[in-house]
Amino acid sequence: MLKVRENRGELSGRIEIARFAVGGIFAVLAFAYWYVQIARGDYYFELSENNRIRSVKLTAPRGYVLDRNGSVLVENEPAYSLQLYRREAKNLQASVDFAVRLLGLPADQVQARLARGRRYPEFVPIPIAENLTLEEVARVEARAPEHPEFAIAVSQRRLYKRGNSAAHVLGYLAEATPDQIRASSNGYRLGDWIGQKGIESSYEKLLGGTNGERRVIVDSHAREIKEESRLESRPGQNLFLTIDRELQELAEESFADKVGSAVALDPRTGEILALVSSPSYDPNWFTRRVTPEEWSSLLSNSNHPLQNRAIQNMYSPGSVFKIFLAYGALALGEVDPNARIFCPGHAVFYGRTFRCHRRGGHGWVDLRNAIKLSCDVYFYNLGRRLGVDRIAEIAHAFGFGEPTGLDLTHEKAGLVPSEEWARTKRGARWYPSETISVSIGQGPVLVTPLQVARAVSGLIEGGRLPTPHLFLASQDPRTGVRLRYDSPPRKSLPLDARRLALVKDGMWAVMNEPGGTAFGSRIPGLEAGGKTGTVQIAGRDAVLRAGVDRSRIEDHAWFTAFAPMNDPKIVVVVFVEHGGHGGAVAAPIARRLLAKYFGMTLPPRPGEPGFVRASTRIAPAAPHTAGVSP
Amino acid sequence: MIRRVFPVPRRLDLVVLGCAISLSVLGILFVSSTTQGGRFEGLATRQAVWVLVGMGAMIAAVLFDYRVLLKFSFVIYCVSLVPLVYLLFFGERIANVKSWIRIGGFQFQPAELTKVATALLLAYLFENEDDARLKGATIAKVGAIVAIPFLLVFLQPDAGLAATFLPLLAMALFFGGLPGKAWIALFVAVALLAGIGWFVLADYQKQRIGTFLNPESDVLGSGYQVRQSKIAVGSGGFTGKGFRSGTQSQLRFLPVQHTDFILAVIAEEWGFLGVCLVLALFAGLILRAMTLARVARDRGGVFLILAVSSMLFFSVVVNASMMIGLLPTTGIPLPLVSYGGSSVATSFLGIGLILAVEYRRFANA
Repeated sequence: MLKVRENRGELSGRIEIARFAVGGIFAVLAFAYWYVQIARGDYYFELSENNRIRSVKLTAPRGYVLDRNGSVLVENEPAYSLQLYRREAKNLQASVDFAVRLLGLPADQVQARLARGRRYPEFVPIPIAENLTLEEVARVEARAPEHPEFAIAVSQRRLYKRGNSAAHVLGYLAEATPDQIRASSNGYRLGDWIGQKGIESSYEKLLGGTNGERRVIVDSHAREIKEESRLESRPGQNLFLTIDRELQELAEESFADKVGSAVALDPRTGEILALVSSPSYDPNWFTRRVTPEEWSSLLSNSNHPLQNRAIQNMYSPGSVFKIFLAYGALALGEVDPNARIFCPGHAVFYGRTFRCHRRGGHGWVDLRNAIKLSCDVYFYNLGRRLGVDRIAEIAHAFGFGEPTGLDLTHEKAGLVPSEEWARTKRGARWYPSETISVSIGQGPVLVTPLQVARAVSGLIEGGRLPTPHLFLASQDPRTGVRLRYDSPPRKSLPLDARRLALVKDGMWAVMNEPGGTAFGSRIPGLEAGGKTGTVQIAGRDAVLRAGVDRSRIEDHAWFTAFAPMNDPKIVVVVFVEHGGHGGAVAAPIARRLLAKYFGMTLPPRPGEPGFVRASTRIAPAAPHTAGVSP
Repeated sequence: MIRRVFPVPRRLDLVVLGCAISLSVLGILFVSSTTQGGRFEGLATRQAVWVLVGMGAMIAAVLFDYRVLLKFSFVIYCVSLVPLVYLLFFGERIANVKSWIRIGGFQFQPAELTKVATALLLAYLFENEDDARLKGATIAKVGAIVAIPFLLVFLQPDAGLAATFLPLLAMALFFGGLPGKAWIALFVAVALLAGIGWFVLADYQKQRIGTFLNPESDVLGSGYQVRQSKIAVGSGGFTGKGFRSGTQSQLRFLPVQHTDFILAVIAEEWGFLGVCLVLALFAGLILRAMTLARVARDRGGVFLILAVSSMLFFSVVVNASMMIGLLPTTGIPLPLVSYGGSSVATSFLGIGLILAVEYRRFANA
């Protein structure tokens, strides 16, 4: 029944051909595997290692910031952020929409973050929103089963415990910008928070510590399987500032409704005890979510709350400048302290009449009285004798025209005019009549409040200019070891004790003799010296005639003081923008600070609301009601 | 030597049998390696059960006279098409295709059995068509026999599984003796079909082909599988990372590793040596089977062996090429090794048919 005639010969031939083909194809396959596994084996092995090992950053806890007495100003608190794990997401767009709806986030901002995050490998979670409230965390957690792609990450957030207080000293944290990442050698990565401004920025390295690293073995879903190695982070150092919190807060209260700046420092060391710039802002806005309202209120405020007026705004020094002129003239031997000049209330120089601030004139005044009464005519004459270049020499000797070297960034240098400056920088030659203006701190000369504080320190210390600083000590949170700041003072224009006493005596008279421009701010029982300054706004009369808002053209008020006379421990500078007369506006603030510093009780002054007992803590809500005594 | 120790029937071919059993043992080992501690824990035991079932089918096929099967092959063929038609209308979609029948806790792909039935019917056809050159009518019959199940599976739509029917066509035409001119015509036809197919293919299929042509274009999407598979294979090196120590497989970077990508696991954990072992076992099995085909007693037996061998060969080559990106990812498992009951059982059934032809070489008709 089988057919006999078969084609077996040909069929066998074909099978033989096919066997060769099959063997050949297997050989080719083996060769292909040889190529992948042996020739390219190392390459793929490295890829497989990269696949399975992830480096996870261990963020070092940032150091606390404390005042000189150990009162905590800045610490850390837990913060919650929302992270998107792309590999878990079925539909990225749907996930993003969900997050936007659930937390009410701005959709375009989330889209931008998604676009930015997509440039990174898929296992890197994309940060969608930061600083969730506990209620928002609960809302996300409740939907977790349907949305496994979202996870809550806990991190440490900076907490500025005292809100607005000392904001310009402290600065704030914000996400590192691409430029900052490029410029820094610290190995910052996108999404790292770093100090911006203030000591947060100046001492970023110290506060930030050193991040650690975990190398973990992960699976394809980036789930951690086990830890391969671990390098612990080194926590940031705690930073003790030279600031005295109580003094700082008292100064801030005094500026509650004023614009300006106050600086208190130790003239021997340059330690800043208080540094106020008003108005201020709350650094917590930056570490939490800055609301659009907060942001626009910061930017649109014509008083520029973000600016640190103590070091970034330059003003004419006004009559405060006179004490440096007096000191310099004595040091250069250009003035006989006993020689008297007659002040009729005005003087004519180079064909122009210059008025004294006292219309009726001061009569015959010597150096001491010229300081006490702030006689303009006396200093017009002194300035004319010195000439602008000698004045510039004196000003430079007291550190004007250069940054003080404070450990904050963006400090302004101020301006000390000279004939050369007029020629090269201004492009218009110096007129001798300008020298007359400069002698009373008007004209082109510009200073910052901190420069004044430093210069006064140099003056009362007989020519030793301290370097102002905020760094008192750092402390390793694990070992407790402290480091101290050390910066030698700069020597300039020495003056012998006898003649130095003349200037200081004049400043004593300002506060302690009837007729002194700040006699009203004397502190019974405290030997203090000071000097007022009142800066006229240029073109004031014209503006007044134009009927412009008076508050914008009101005089600037300066006052600087030191105490005690024989061994000064503190120098205070108060500057109130458009405050009015220095003796009437700025001096009372300085008086409160001095009294507070020395723990003295101030008697109430007639005609003013009662002053508080300086030793009493002041309740911020009712600053003028505590401790009234007859 | 083995024959002296074990009472094995004289005509049972130990090379084919040994290779097949070795491969299935390797399969069980590596299924257990890739599924340890995961949600697939316990699949190795299931695989072992399926291997036993398959071996039962194999023994039955050896003992049963394949010539009887050939005589009834048309009926078997028709019966085997019924579940495919059923699936097309009432099938439940699993992994996007309607190719599974669920019975109790088990899933079965009826198309696997259809392949064996188709092989039987083709063998029966060539039992009687013994001209030196294929006649047009025979070509048409061959075409129809392969095309019907191919289309039914293609519409499920499981192009990968459907493609496993194509080696039967190639086998029949080549060994049946297709004239030279017809081969040219065939190439043209294939080219045309490929062009038309591009419009018929589902999007994910097109994407896979696109990814195959340029794997780096979509590293996180369809390219992911190929890339991770290549990394697994390549990182294995010469001797591998050690059994159960492959990072790509144990950390689940490899997709569907216990089924389609099991060769990548072997490559990673046992290295080039492991791959050579697997390839050698398959080569040994297939080349030996072809030798057996040459000496088979009748044309039906010759074509039965060739049909089964061609399907095995096709699956092995496509699967092994897939691992290292030589061919697009198609979802074709590695016969005998990959996890999967229907694949393992029908592979053993096929092995049984090869053995059966050899077993009855000298038997009287």
